[in-house]
Amino acid sequence: MARVKRGVTSHAKHKKTLDAAKGFYGRRKNTIRTAKAAVDRSMQYATRDRRAKKRTIRALWIQRLNAAVREMGLTYSRFIFGLAEAGIEIDRKVLSDLAIREPEAFKAIVEAAKAALPAAPAAATA
Amino acid sequence: MFGKTYSTKTAEIEKKWTVIDAQGLVVGRLASIIAMRLRGKHKPSFTPHMDDGDHVIVINAEKVVFTGRKRENKIYYHYTGFQGGIKERTARFILEGRFPERVVEKAVERMLPRGPLGRKQLGNLRVYAGSEHPHAAQQPVALDVGPMNPKNVYNPKNTTATKAA
Repeated sequence: MARVKRGVTSHAKHKKTLDAAKGFYGRRKNTIRTAKAAVDRSMQYATRDRRAKKRTIRALWIQRLNAAVREMGLTYSRFIFGLAEAGIEIDRKVLSDLAIREPEAFKAIVEAAKAALPAAPAAATA
Repeated sequence: MFGKTYSTKTAEIEKKWTVIDAQGLVVGRLASIIAMRLRGKHKPSFTPHMDDGDHVIVINAEKVVFTGRKRENKIYYHYTGFQGGIKERTARFILEGRFPERVVEKAVERMLPRGPLGRKQLGNLRVYAGSEHPHAAQQPVALDVGPMNPKNVYNPKNTTATKAA
């Protein structure tokens, strides 16, 4: 039976790790010891951040919506309350997309939300 | 149509020019509005990693006001690098000095995120002590900050100091 030498497998393993460490800073991209630790940790970050992405993107939609509705004299909080009162169930992702690409349609939604608000307090500041 | 969340591209950025007359406005409230516009947070297409805010010109920056006793009591510290080299100046000292516009500049700087993008966005701010600015060619649009909120313009009746008296 053919003799199996260990260099081939370990070289393949090392190559896999070093390829995954492309673009890392300093020795982390060249040295297998540091690269391995860095790649392991980077995978942990990737797993965590795929979940965190859902939260940061939702936060971004809200920031954009706030900017969009403030142009029309409402705050985000009043806007969302108005939507609920008006029974409009469009989510924040679609709303923020509408605000950018379909300003007319968005305006109609904001007006509907405004109309559904009970007696409004002082107008919002920009 | 509803695909990925929108992200502004460099080619799509349209940087507008805004001019604000700072006369009689409260510093911090003014700075917060300026900082928001420099960052682009007033746009529905706000993209955090892009420099998609506006250019802001501030005129009459020497005529800003502080509420309460801050004109006399607010202290700006800076450090010379030598031991014991911490120096201080009051807001009044700066406002009455050679570069009164630094009060507004500092207030905005401290409201922007510290980093490469924040420094770049601070570069889009131009503050002038007097009522003149050399950017007429950019056709800046005037932004009236005073009426946005009654507290933006200094009104001595609203201060706690007077109420207590």
